[in-house]
Amino acid sequence: MIPGIAGAAGVAAQTTSGDVPALRTATGLVVLAQSTYRTLQATPAGGGATAVPLVRDLLTAAVVELGDARAALTAATTGVGGRAQTAPDPTYGPVVDAALPTVRTPADVVGLVLTLEDVLAQTLVADAAALSTPALRALALRFGSAAASRKATLLIVNSLLSAGRADLVAAPPDLASLPGGIGTVGFPDTRFPTAKAAPAEEGDG
Amino acid sequence: MNLSRRRVLLGSAVGLLGAGALAACSDAPPTAAPAPSSGAPAPTTTSAGRVPYVGDQRAVALCAATSALAASLYSGAVLAAGDGRLGQVPGVVTAFLAGAGAQHTEHAAAWNALLTAAGRPAVTGTPLTVESERRAALGRAAAPTDLLALAVDVEAMTGGTVSARAAEFTDPGAAALAATLAPVTAMHGATAAFLLGRPTGATPSAAGAPLGLDALTV
Repeated sequence: MIPGIAGAAGVAAQTTSGDVPALRTATGLVVLAQSTYRTLQATPAGGGATAVPLVRDLLTAAVVELGDARAALTAATTGVGGRAQTAPDPTYGPVVDAALPTVRTPADVVGLVLTLEDVLAQTLVADAAALSTPALRALALRFGSAAASRKATLLIVNSLLSAGRADLVAAPPDLASLPGGIGTVGFPDTRFPTAKAAPAEEGDG
Repeated sequence: MNLSRRRVLLGSAVGLLGAGALAACSDAPPTAAPAPSSGAPAPTTTSAGRVPYVGDQRAVALCAATSALAASLYSGAVLAAGDGRLGQVPGVVTAFLAGAGAQHTEHAAAWNALLTAAGRPAVTGTPLTVESERRAALGRAAAPTDLLALAVDVEAMTGGTVSARAAEFTDPGAAALAATLAPVTAMHGATAAFLLGRPTGATPSAAGAPLGLDALTV
């Protein structure tokens, strides 16, 4: 403890009882995100004729990264005595189901996964402060930071697509043509928010 | 668990509020440029003598110093971008450097608020063993993309350092602060990678390695 800080904070001691629900909820969000990315890859705007190549690459990379996250979170869940979560998050699953048929453009693709990455990142960041062991907190922070990275890139791409500048969504980008605001649109918060973190029990069913 | 999670984060906020740090670490988009600094190697400003940081305090001090070094390097990079020696530096690059640097300045303030609330002195300057080498790397930049490559390393170093300490903190306030700052550095890194033309991630050099507690020189 830091003398003079911990007492004033009045923080409850971390316990092990909530680890399994939190890990299962996070896993459910990962399952949903990976499934959504895969579905979008099969759409014209995500992986077909009207797709933006850079967005297509982002989808491919995210599927791999989320697969790693799913495996690690599942191992952690079973490691603390829980059942592996294989179902998608019950709250956001129906939202995705309703949104997928409306996806027409690359901007729609980016907007949908941006929502999922934000909720996933906020949930894992909250977990990184609340899980009971250093190893679990490190795991949550590792994958929370990865989701935050994807969120940042999606914010940049979303900004350009929303402005009708799909021509600037390229690698390498034309730095001289990019609006100055693109330099900061990927990190809008000085501290990563957690207000949208899924309740730990949400995906424990 | 959700109640526990909320209490942990609330506890962090209460602790920081008591230290007056929330006002310096808002959720507002970055707008201010970091404090002026030179792009050339600058003298280290360290606290006089050994400061008795113990336990979590030492890790908090390391995070404060690392964030401060990141802010200082970006401040120097902004100056370098404006002095013409790197050619025409695109506005988006300068905006990134200024915005990320401003957030690192606020991160350093938040870490220092934890120390001062605990009755310990804030870390001043950038008392790290790697300081000279990192400033030299900035001095070697010859093109705008060199500044972005430097940023990839800076963010990997900063984020890795905070993440490595985060899991080990026994103080919930420090753990919660680390959890909310490390992802922001990841977002800086992703932005730098995008601007470099590596939107799925840029691999940092050896200079992006996390710093250990032995890197702190106070």
